Amino acid sequence: MTAKLLEWRDAYALGLPEIDHEHQQMIAEINRLHESLDHNATADDVVDCLGEILAHISAHFALEEKNMRAAAYDGLAEHKADHERLLDELHTIASDVADRGRYDSAVLAARLDAWFMKHFGSLDARLHRALRVRR
Amino acid sequence: MKALQAGLRAALEFLSDLLEWAFGSRSNPLAQLGALGWFFFWIVAASGLYLYVFFDTGVTQAYASVESITHAQWWAGGILRSFHRYASDALIIVVLIHLLREFAYDRFHGPRAFGWITGMVALALAYVCGISGYWMVWDQLAQYIAVITSEWLDVLPIFAGSIARNFLHSGELSGRFFTLMVYIHIAVPLAMLAVMWLHIQRHAVSRINPARPLALATLGALLVLALVFPAVSQAPANLDIAPTRLGIDWFYLLTLPGVERWGGGPMWALLGGTAVVLATFPWLIRRRRPPVAVVHLDECNGCGRCVEDCPFTAVRLGPRSDGLSYEQEAVVDPDLCVSCGICVGACPTSTPFRRATALIPGIELPDHPLADMRAAILAASPALSGAERVIVFRCTQSAALAAPDPGVAVFDVPCVGEVPPSFVDFALSRGHADGVMLAGCREEACYQRLGGRWTEARVAGTRDPRLRERVPRERLAFSWAATTQRAVRLADLARFRARLHARAAAGGPTAPETARTVWRRNVRSLLALRWGAQIAWLAAFVAVAGFFSIAPAHQSLAPGEAEIKLSLAHPGQRRIACRELTPQELAKLPINMRRPVNCPRARWPVAVELWINGRRLLAGSYAPTGVWSDGPSVVYTRLEVPAGPLELRLRLRDTGRPEGFDYDQSFAVQLAPAQSLAIDFRPDNGGFVLHGATATGARP
Repeated sequence: MTAKLLEWRDAYALGLPEIDHEHQQMIAEINRLHESLDHNATADDVVDCLGEILAHISAHFALEEKNMRAAAYDGLAEHKADHERLLDELHTIASDVADRGRYDSAVLAARLDAWFMKHFGSLDARLHRALRVRR
Repeated sequence: MKALQAGLRAALEFLSDLLEWAFGSRSNPLAQLGALGWFFFWIVAASGLYLYVFFDTGVTQAYASVESITHAQWWAGGILRSFHRYASDALIIVVLIHLLREFAYDRFHGPRAFGWITGMVALALAYVCGISGYWMVWDQLAQYIAVITSEWLDVLPIFAGSIARNFLHSGELSGRFFTLMVYIHIAVPLAMLAVMWLHIQRHAVSRINPARPLALATLGALLVLALVFPAVSQAPANLDIAPTRLGIDWFYLLTLPGVERWGGGPMWALLGGTAVVLATFPWLIRRRRPPVAVVHLDECNGCGRCVEDCPFTAVRLGPRSDGLSYEQEAVVDPDLCVSCGICVGACPTSTPFRRATALIPGIELPDHPLADMRAAILAASPALSGAERVIVFRCTQSAALAAPDPGVAVFDVPCVGEVPPSFVDFALSRGHADGVMLAGCREEACYQRLGGRWTEARVAGTRDPRLRERVPRERLAFSWAATTQRAVRLADLARFRARLHARAAAGGPTAPETARTVWRRNVRSLLALRWGAQIAWLAAFVAVAGFFSIAPAHQSLAPGEAEIKLSLAHPGQRRIACRELTPQELAKLPINMRRPVNCPRARWPVAVELWINGRRLLAGSYAPTGVWSDGPSVVYTRLEVPAGPLELRLRLRDTGRPEGFDYDQSFAVQLAPAQSLAIDFRPDNGGFVLHGATATGARP
């Protein structure tokens, strides 16, 4: 299977260049991770990929929080709590792989999908609508 | 200089230990000297506003109104007057310790020179406020201040006449003068407030309010002082009587007896010299400045966390310069950066979990790369042995710590705030250590600002970036210790390892019940003692403020002495007499320049001699003032003489005659002890005029 998990589509574009840029970056990283899972990568490789995602998503969340504060977004507290929870979860996922030294690719893929969709599916969409209206 | 600073630090830290024991770390007065300064300023401002309502400007009204404020409404005006005085004294105490502390901790370099200099300006203005305030009361102290300060100011070449001449004798003084004083006493504090505001501008998150319990306790102590030892006026001013023994506020008026003894010139030199030396400290005492933080644009998305955490407002967000799709980027102002690295600890990209690409955070200290720190941890951790392996991140400005055994690895950082919380997570979750200790400076001894506070908040999860919730907090310890507190640091480490050991033995984070009971009992018994210690400290503080605001008394004029003030402002005659121009001469001049009389402006100097009982005590030739040498010659001198009968002989020459005098007068006077005889020169009244003494016989 070589199809990418996620494909960037112009429809995803929010019209906020910095957010779009980071979303593209993130999609590329998540695809890379999925690809490596498909190719039965070592646990080390997976941890590497997760580390990159962690670094970039931390920065992405930080930027999003700045934008929310600047726009006095009313869902800030809820959204921020979600960011923190997501970071906690991603750390846990990465640690599990690193600690065991192996992983079950199906389970990991499911966890990551759940992790990714939970946030981007609901809260992010609402935020970006709000921010776009403001500009 | 280094030894002096080290000695001062040791003394301050000893004091801080005692104060912290009594007040706790949150209310330790030594950790909030600046905030206490602001607090006292507001007390003085508020009480001053009230006093201003009842203050009258006028030679006799000033004193009378202050007396009425003090006694007729002792329950309001009287108490507020005491607040006004004692809070100003307290202000000087805390500000001087503040200055001493910043010097001791070497906190005046680079970007901090701004605070150093503005602080000194504010202090100078505080002195002007204090001196002008005491002046307004118009009691004997005010009179002393008026005479000495104006003599002091007269030394400066910027005043054409003589200010001291205004205080020659009681007939000379005008109520306008008090209006001027009120103006100065309001304008200068406002200027001081402006400078105080400037003083904190280069600091992010300045502490300008002391901890509330401390503020309330201090206010209470001032109230007790105001009731027990109210501030009152001394005897009313009378320019015909010289002050002899005076209560002096040594916090503000320390320099005046010096002016009295050694003269205004030397005191200006001493003060000016001290100020110049202090002001040039940031440049005189050089310190190697480590390279400032740099931004790695590839890793910066302009989230602004470094901007929020920088203690010196050295990082700001600027427009994007590299064409990436972000709107902003972090920009470091190298003039303001102190290379503390707190921005590095705030950057979301500084996570050590990142491995595939190089560990380069968005902002970093060039001589302290995070990649090196992770490499050092990875290199050191396999060598750690024992059941309680501890990694210590130690701020290099704080108490030194050498690893006591192979179970401890110490990593030096410029500030604990430089350590990203993810490094703590990394060290513990990846099994590199059993415990992590963040070892920084005690708050008031903190060389960088805010590093400790931000670190605690990040760990507590109240500030970004937060330490992940999964990190077991019992595996983490803080140690706040200044350079001299190595024993405290070692004890902190030992306690932490004992805790880790107990936890491992118990298989969980439960502490033995008995220890807790013992601890509680100890705390209870200490609490009672601490209240006593707090009261004792506050009492000592206000006692010092109260005592030196009036004592020890200063002997201005010795008993049995009297005083003679000779002051005149008299123009010598013109060197060349005026001449009327002839009509022909006038006709030659352009139409707009036809001045009928030609008067060359230069005047002769005025020669004056004062003889007392046949001894010549003063002889001088006084040049005319003014750029064109056309102003009056100004003479002012104040002499101490034994009381009793005196034969005075006064001579004055104001013409160009080569010898002899145009005026030569003798007076026989009888001076009582402390009497102040003023001698003026009024040619309209026949020459020299005596005030404040009846001449027993004047011979022309």
